[in-house]
Amino acid sequence: MSVADYAAEHRLAVGGGLAALAAVAAITLLDLPGADLLTVGAAERSLQAAMPIALAAIGGLYAEKSGVFNIGLEGFMIFGALTAAAAAWLISGESSITQGDLWLAILVAVVFCALLTVAFAVLTIRYKADQIVAGLAVWFIGLGFGPFGATVLWGGVSSPTLPNVNDVVIPGLAELPVLGRLLFDTSPLVLLTLVLTVLAWVVLYRTRYGYWIQAAGENPEALDTAGVDVNRVRYATVIFSGAMAGLAGATLSVGIGSGFTGTGVTMVDGRGWIAIVAYLFGNYNPIGAFLASLLFGAMDMLQIQLQTVGISLPGSITGLFPYVAVLVVLTLVGYTRVPAAVGEAYETESE
Amino acid sequence: MSGSGAPAVELDAITKRFGDVIANDGVDLTLERGTVHALVGENGAGKTTLMSVLYGLYEPDGGTICVDGQPRTFDSPRDAIDAGVGMIHQHFQLVDTMTVLQNVVLGHEPTDNGLVDQDSARAAIDEVCSTYGFDIDKHLDTRIEDLGVGVQQRVEIVKSLYRGADTLILDEPTAVLTPQEVDELFDVMAELTDRGQSLIFITHKLDEAMAVADDITVLRDGESVGTVDGASTSEQELARMMVGRDVLFEGQERTTEPGSVTLDVADLRVQDDRGLEQVSGIDLSVRSGEVLGIAGVDGNGQAELVEAITGLRPVESGTVTFEGRDITETSRRDRIEAGIAYIPEDRQSEGLVQEYDLVRNALLGNQTIEPFVENGFVDWDRVREHAAEIVAEYDVQPPHVEADAGSLSGGNQQKFVVGRELRHDPDLVVASHPTRGVDIGSIEFIHGRLHEMRDEGMAILLVSSKLDEVQKLSDRLAVIHEGEFVDVVDPDAVTEGELGLLMAGRERAAADGGVER
Amino acid sequence: MLRASVLERFALAVVSTLLALLIGSVIVWATGYDAVEFVTSLLYGAVGNLSNVAFTLRQSTMLILTGVAVAVAFRAGVFNIGVQGQFVVGGFATALTILFLAPLLPGGPVGGVVLMVLGTITAIVAGGAYGALPGLMKAYADANEVITTIMLNFIASGVVYFLIDAYLRPSGTSAPNTESFPDYVDLPGFAFGSGSFSVIGLGVALATALGVYVVMARTSFGYDLVTSGYQESAAAYSGVDPKRTVVTTMTFSGMVAGVAGAMFAIMVLGYYSDPSTFPSFGFDAIAVSLLAANNPLGVIPAGLLFGGLDAGGQYIGFTLDVPSELVDGVIGLIVLFVAAPELFRMSARRFGLGGDDR
Repeated sequence: MSVADYAAEHRLAVGGGLAALAAVAAITLLDLPGADLLTVGAAERSLQAAMPIALAAIGGLYAEKSGVFNIGLEGFMIFGALTAAAAAWLISGESSITQGDLWLAILVAVVFCALLTVAFAVLTIRYKADQIVAGLAVWFIGLGFGPFGATVLWGGVSSPTLPNVNDVVIPGLAELPVLGRLLFDTSPLVLLTLVLTVLAWVVLYRTRYGYWIQAAGENPEALDTAGVDVNRVRYATVIFSGAMAGLAGATLSVGIGSGFTGTGVTMVDGRGWIAIVAYLFGNYNPIGAFLASLLFGAMDMLQIQLQTVGISLPGSITGLFPYVAVLVVLTLVGYTRVPAAVGEAYETESE
Repeated sequence: MSGSGAPAVELDAITKRFGDVIANDGVDLTLERGTVHALVGENGAGKTTLMSVLYGLYEPDGGTICVDGQPRTFDSPRDAIDAGVGMIHQHFQLVDTMTVLQNVVLGHEPTDNGLVDQDSARAAIDEVCSTYGFDIDKHLDTRIEDLGVGVQQRVEIVKSLYRGADTLILDEPTAVLTPQEVDELFDVMAELTDRGQSLIFITHKLDEAMAVADDITVLRDGESVGTVDGASTSEQELARMMVGRDVLFEGQERTTEPGSVTLDVADLRVQDDRGLEQVSGIDLSVRSGEVLGIAGVDGNGQAELVEAITGLRPVESGTVTFEGRDITETSRRDRIEAGIAYIPEDRQSEGLVQEYDLVRNALLGNQTIEPFVENGFVDWDRVREHAAEIVAEYDVQPPHVEADAGSLSGGNQQKFVVGRELRHDPDLVVASHPTRGVDIGSIEFIHGRLHEMRDEGMAILLVSSKLDEVQKLSDRLAVIHEGEFVDVVDPDAVTEGELGLLMAGRERAAADGGVER
Repeated sequence: MLRASVLERFALAVVSTLLALLIGSVIVWATGYDAVEFVTSLLYGAVGNLSNVAFTLRQSTMLILTGVAVAVAFRAGVFNIGVQGQFVVGGFATALTILFLAPLLPGGPVGGVVLMVLGTITAIVAGGAYGALPGLMKAYADANEVITTIMLNFIASGVVYFLIDAYLRPSGTSAPNTESFPDYVDLPGFAFGSGSFSVIGLGVALATALGVYVVMARTSFGYDLVTSGYQESAAAYSGVDPKRTVVTTMTFSGMVAGVAGAMFAIMVLGYYSDPSTFPSFGFDAIAVSLLAANNPLGVIPAGLLFGGLDAGGQYIGFTLDVPSELVDGVIGLIVLFVAAPELFRMSARRFGLGGDDR
């Protein structure tokens, strides 16, 4: 096995190792108090930052595994973030928003984004639209109609400050050292993300639907001749990816954030794109994608962590860490084996 | 499984047209239960079309299909599978990234509480394996891509059996196998027929057909030439049936003698995209005014050899020398400029840009050649003239240079490519299957042009799997088998039977009768 | 045959634009605004008076330049989504050149012209280099160019902001802007009398479109690129090196984006600023290019149309309180429809409008 093969097979290990090495090197060279950097608080923040990325990544990897590159994740996340904030605002009658309102709002965002992806799926699967161009269009539409919707509702591109989902303490379990605080005394969305990650793994690798998804993306003809409708599988995964992107967006705006922000490239701020790299890095494995998201989440939170130990880099620079990390990952880990039939519309071969 | 004595499959007068081309013209075929029926013929003879009709991929324009005595119409492969017909394609219908077990049960997974029931899947596959003596059970958790081609093929067969097939179509199953794997496949086929399976075996290797088939049907130009008994026929008889005599034209007497060496290839080794060695130490040389033909069954390294010479594929070792200059490491473009023309095997994806008109296609490969391009600027008027000259001289129909290449018939596309490559006096022409899929009129025309070019002093390297073509055009004829030249013979002094044996990899001594001298 | 497909592309562009505008109007109406007023205001904002026309042409200048940059790459089958970043970097290079060389050169019109020419040249070099980067990553590390170019957009914006804020911001000011360029570094407004639009800028855009068209249609280099985009195997057969072509394509595309950056710095701004506040010309350019079927000459009418849409959109933002982001959404819809020609073919067939002869 060549070095390249090894790197490709064990990309997460290699990536994690590189990251750890870089961290150790930085700590030693800059004489940083390492212990202060790696705190439970840091882990908690990283986990929270990773959540939206991981959720979108899992949706995106399902779509791509089945043969449709949903490059519009970023756009669907914008819609998710806006819809959740708007729904919370409208459900509560513009007054005090309850926890129940928030959960309902998240559900509305998921359903709404799933419906939007139905249109995307019809265009890419039935009408064979170019998947890359159509996905970019979704992003542009999100960048336009997201802030537009916010302005219609609130008179500005961002919503007023909204409450977010309360942390939940699970008695007993929360007392566990480290893990207790990370998982059982935090936003329930963290736990939800973990559950969804594991569930996504089980469905993909242990159920017949998972087999069909893999076959649809790798050799649709094999699936077709086995009597399974390839395009139905693809519709299902694309719509699922929209629902997950909606959940990811909702998590950003009302899950851990404080409402919708529509300035610049909106509060989603490239997380949809990072999600794509996360699942590529995770080699289309939901658990791998989650771990990769964690890496990017940690990058995102590095700024705060550096500040707490007394290193103050300008925000404009530390904010770039995740993007640089994406480039490094894509170039160094290099070739990701993309499912063979991605991007091609499938038509059954018989006349 | 049918208990009656009815044939497993009976095809009666199957006709299939694609536009004006008749791919199958009233073909009959009867597959008796528990036997192997070989379907042989050259490329383009209509073998795959006929089997695609049986497998439900094409709807026939005429004729009937009976399976186990029952008339059937198949709208899709699913219907065929339900009727017990399975097909093992040349390109396996397997998902590379999934395991053997997952592939076999795909679409027919046993489940337990929503999860795939691994244990009952395993048990069902084990049963198929033990019934027919397959040894893939130890690979059940291995991914397809980590298995050799021979094992993958057995997985395909097990998959069909798992789905209840009792008739299997094997589409050129030996084309991708090593000799050892071929032997193993033949053992498997014998085991299958012993257990009541019926097999259709598509091949163009005559010795293989004779080795395993009970009956052999020969197709030529879409028609069935006849069915013979596998035990009593001879390779000579089959070769004659396969090739026929009607397309042949007499080679012209040469008017000049060959000159100096134009192309010299020494100890060349080349790998394919998967990193497997396909060309294993070939030496060859072509002189000006000479045609060196390379005969062989497809997939024995011809494609890689040609790509290495034309600069489309790097070599592992060895040298390519053109007119005394070592060009082993030079780019494709340098070789074009040096005067190497290339008529590619695949005119659709390589030789022509389908969406370009003929004018723009006339520039393909000539991007740095004066007078079409000067100082980097294209002289489109000059290119247009060039295209018009090709169209006129090579009788391309319809004679419009504005026509998109994709709208032309195969023969006319090929004439355009040949014309473009030959019209600016190259020193060497590499022609790969120059008449594949081309109508008879165009074949004669292309053959005539190649002979004229040779007489004008051009060196020609011709690769073809058509025996009549290489025999008639070549001055010397090399036979390739598994990446090596088996022998170089005088095309006028060798019989088709001998060539067939050489193409099967047997040394000439054996072909002559095998007496040691 | 070719003519039919040009006609079809044109019809597709018109139908997509109209359909997207229709959906936009419906949304405007559904959210409680006056749809008729929306359309008339959009028109007035685009071409209603001389200064509106000047604004339209200014936006068009930028969209034609960035549109051509996108078209170069898409034509060759490379998805350069990074024109925005290449344009930002190019403009920054222009600003640096002008600000650093101005004290060393004589003032006045001659100095102005020299500075503008030098500034444009450095922008071309910088834009090309920033485009070459993802090209190299794609050719030699198999990194998907869609993602790398988008990441490089974010990075360009962040780094330029940081450099301006940390080193180029005049002391005593808080806005992240550089000093203004000297007065003599400016393109004359002529009849339009606008401080941010010059016919010369538009001329540069038209000349660039024409020049790129000539390169793509009349040179062997252009033939290599376009052939790679159509059919990579045929390009390789004809002697084109696929990896090198990816890099040259991206470099060429980035160079054109650099010209856009230079025009933005010189003609529109007259200084340089936080790129996150810039209009997203590099993204709208994708719509412009797709609408023009990636033909550099087609980019001219498409760029004029989008310039008008943009100007009209900003106008309704001021006057009707209809958020101008709506127009961004409409542009997204246009892209979506242009990506799905089958949608229109199938519906045309269903309604018996021909199209079944294909």
